[in-house]
Amino acid sequence: MPDILPVNETGEGFTIPYFDQWMAMPVIIRVAVVFIGISTIFILYIQFRIWFTRYKGYLLNKRVEKVVPVIDALIAEEIFMKSETGQKGAPHINFDAFRIPLFANHKNKQILIDRLINYRRSFSGSIGNHFKQLYLELGLDKLSTKKMNRRSWNMKVRGIRELTGMDVSISDVNILPLTNSKRHELRTEARNAYIKLSKNEPFKFFDISSEPLLDWDQIELFKTITTTENIAIPNFARWVTYSNNKSIISFCLKLIVHYNQQDAAPAVIKLLETKDHILRAEAINCLGKLKYEPAEAQLRHIYSNQPLNCQLEILKAIGRMSTGESAQFLRQEFMYSTDFDIRKNAAMSFVRNASPEYIDELMEASNDENKLILKHSMNPLIKY
Amino acid sequence: METSIWDYFSSFFERGVFIYGMTMLLAYALLAILSYIAINRFRKKEQYTDYSQLTSSTLAPGISVIAPAFNEAVTIIQNVRSLLTLNYSRYEVIIVNDGSTDETLQKLIDEFDLVHVDFAYNEKIKSKPVRRIFKSSNTAYEKLVVIDKENGKSKADASNAGINVASFNYFLCTDVDCIIEKDTLIKMIQPFMSEEGRKIKEVGEPCPECGYVHVIEDNKRVIATGATLRIANSSDIEDGVLVRMRPPKHWIPRFQEMEYIRSYVLGKMGWSMINCVPNVSGGLGLFDKEIAIKAGGYDPLSFGEDMDLVTRMCAYMRDNKQKYAVRYIPSTQCWTEGPPNLKVFGRQRTRWGRGLIQIITIHKKILFNPRYGRLGLVVFPYNFLFEFLAPIIEFCGILYYIYILITGQINVQNALVLLLFVYLYSVMITTISLFWDQLVNRNYKTWAEVFGLSLMAFLEPIIYHPLIVFFALRGYYYFITGQKHVWGNMQRQGFGQAPKK
Repeated sequence: MPDILPVNETGEGFTIPYFDQWMAMPVIIRVAVVFIGISTIFILYIQFRIWFTRYKGYLLNKRVEKVVPVIDALIAEEIFMKSETGQKGAPHINFDAFRIPLFANHKNKQILIDRLINYRRSFSGSIGNHFKQLYLELGLDKLSTKKMNRRSWNMKVRGIRELTGMDVSISDVNILPLTNSKRHELRTEARNAYIKLSKNEPFKFFDISSEPLLDWDQIELFKTITTTENIAIPNFARWVTYSNNKSIISFCLKLIVHYNQQDAAPAVIKLLETKDHILRAEAINCLGKLKYEPAEAQLRHIYSNQPLNCQLEILKAIGRMSTGESAQFLRQEFMYSTDFDIRKNAAMSFVRNASPEYIDELMEASNDENKLILKHSMNPLIKY
Repeated sequence: METSIWDYFSSFFERGVFIYGMTMLLAYALLAILSYIAINRFRKKEQYTDYSQLTSSTLAPGISVIAPAFNEAVTIIQNVRSLLTLNYSRYEVIIVNDGSTDETLQKLIDEFDLVHVDFAYNEKIKSKPVRRIFKSSNTAYEKLVVIDKENGKSKADASNAGINVASFNYFLCTDVDCIIEKDTLIKMIQPFMSEEGRKIKEVGEPCPECGYVHVIEDNKRVIATGATLRIANSSDIEDGVLVRMRPPKHWIPRFQEMEYIRSYVLGKMGWSMINCVPNVSGGLGLFDKEIAIKAGGYDPLSFGEDMDLVTRMCAYMRDNKQKYAVRYIPSTQCWTEGPPNLKVFGRQRTRWGRGLIQIITIHKKILFNPRYGRLGLVVFPYNFLFEFLAPIIEFCGILYYIYILITGQINVQNALVLLLFVYLYSVMITTISLFWDQLVNRNYKTWAEVFGLSLMAFLEPIIYHPLIVFFALRGYYYFITGQKHVWGNMQRQGFGQAPKK
């Protein structure tokens, strides 16, 4: 066996080339040399990853470009054309036409799921149902359910989203616990899904929700509730009265306004006694938007005890009610308050409540700044 | 005796610089890791958020978009049209004509059918006098408000006037010549609305006046958000919309593009992860109006008004024992025109240097002050040590290097190894930030464009970085000597305009 390590000049054992030079270097320099190597490898690796990430994106686009026309052609042939030909009863869709080797590949199958969800979203009625049927016939719901049962939260969200997109029901046992998940994204998605898919009590999770409904969640949920067809809308006063979750109460107030639930107003009035001035301001806002006139006198009565945000909401609410009964009160606030925002809001509500003569009279009695506020309030070009 | 003092000094300097340098390198490594986590979180969240569905929501809070304009007649119409077509349900656009001497105001009046209105202007923050306020008589432009005010010689003064007129609780500050992505408002308001852990706490005894136990919100209040800005100098823009993004061709904006990516995608995202964002860019920032006003608004005398405002807002929150957060999102939401040549670039960076030393001086009580929490113990010390002191230490280091080179006290081989190490480390960090950017923003069409930009990282330490050090030091010098600042003109070409022959 040949020697692979050179013998040094004195013939004393083996030496590694440059080893002595390496050992002679200060530690700092040795560390620096190691980092030079690491940095160089890392730079090359990152460059490769940049290229690879883009290349993967390019391949995916290519795949989509190849698969989507096939899906579209099959759908046009099997669903659109058969629906159009006006066959009596339900058209016979040949689902086997979709069982082709192309869709055996899981990436292509995913493209098919995404495409079907897209179609389902765009078409309602019987055509929309055909897409759901196709999704179920091809067993794609099993893939979505499998995703929902995975450990990672984003796969769960993906599964829920797919099932919701195709209107496939998910059992309460599976979805309800997720509506209270610690993971915000999962919680939001589960709540949206529950509203969409639950046939009997879509708002049941309001009862069990202990996690807050963040403002962003409220926007998403509001959109889901107000755009889902055939949803049974309950009287939201129930949660305004009994819920311990303030964010649920706050959200219900917005829904009460949206569905103009006048019969919920007494429950909202009760909320004027809450200690939380933020929630109280929301309740006042709700009463104003409902134009619930019986509350006007009470709002005037509590006005002087309220913090600024509630006072501003009371002035706005009275303006929205426009009964004319509070014109004197509004005049008073406008004339004598030292706070600019109070005067501005009082003026805005005053012009909606008072007669033109009364407004002219107030204009006459006002100083220059108040005159400007009144003119501001009366100008139709200025909204706020 | 003299020699021993010198030896002591040089040993101290060398060791000090070594520790300083290593800490800085470690900080960059940490930021790279933190930003990666933050970007991945953002990507996952964004995957499941359909922003287009939410832009029309009536529950979304109103936002006032404030854009000061000074002598922008060439591009003002196109820019305002672009701002008026953002995808969001409740917003207004406030253009502040800061005493322009060209036709900026007249063009706005003619194009948008503006009429003078009796507007109840409430000066919550000081600014130069407002002459008139205009609204459009055409309902198509009902979102538009134009303020005509006396020139305040700063963007800060104009922005303050805009804040005074703003109707909504949030305001977005931008430059009128920036191109903003259509979904910017919904994306930037999201961090305000999705900060977790909202708890409401009852404090104290019942109020003797009203009988209620007042409550406070024990949640982290997001007071500002920022997003990534990019340089659009060589990109294709049609009707105020960026249709094809390209890395800038000229070398100064090209270096800046690379620097912006590193600063926003790696730096700001890393800081955002640990709630230590030092600054929200003046080019694009969304702010909580109440806190901005309570903090005193923008300082018209500041050279770094954006950083100054964020610092004062954070300090206000700490002073009032309220939890706060400043957040960043990594997606590119704004395109701006970078200084096209060395002269304009130098002026900008000198001003930034001057702004930094001014902020450090004004807010010195925050530095290393535990009362200010992360602001006093992380944000400010980092800015002081690694932003403010860096050019000074680098300059001293170069002088020292030259000295030991001349006196033959240097081991050339070891010195070259150390230089190579620092050089490659900086290239590595920049390359990483480009990769992070690719994960979240696929702005460039081809890989070659990304690769071309990443090559700038190899030139940066040799060409671009020394310039930055020089201009920063010039800024410090101007500040110390009290030299009067000349704002100068950015000499913008204007996006989508035919280049001047």
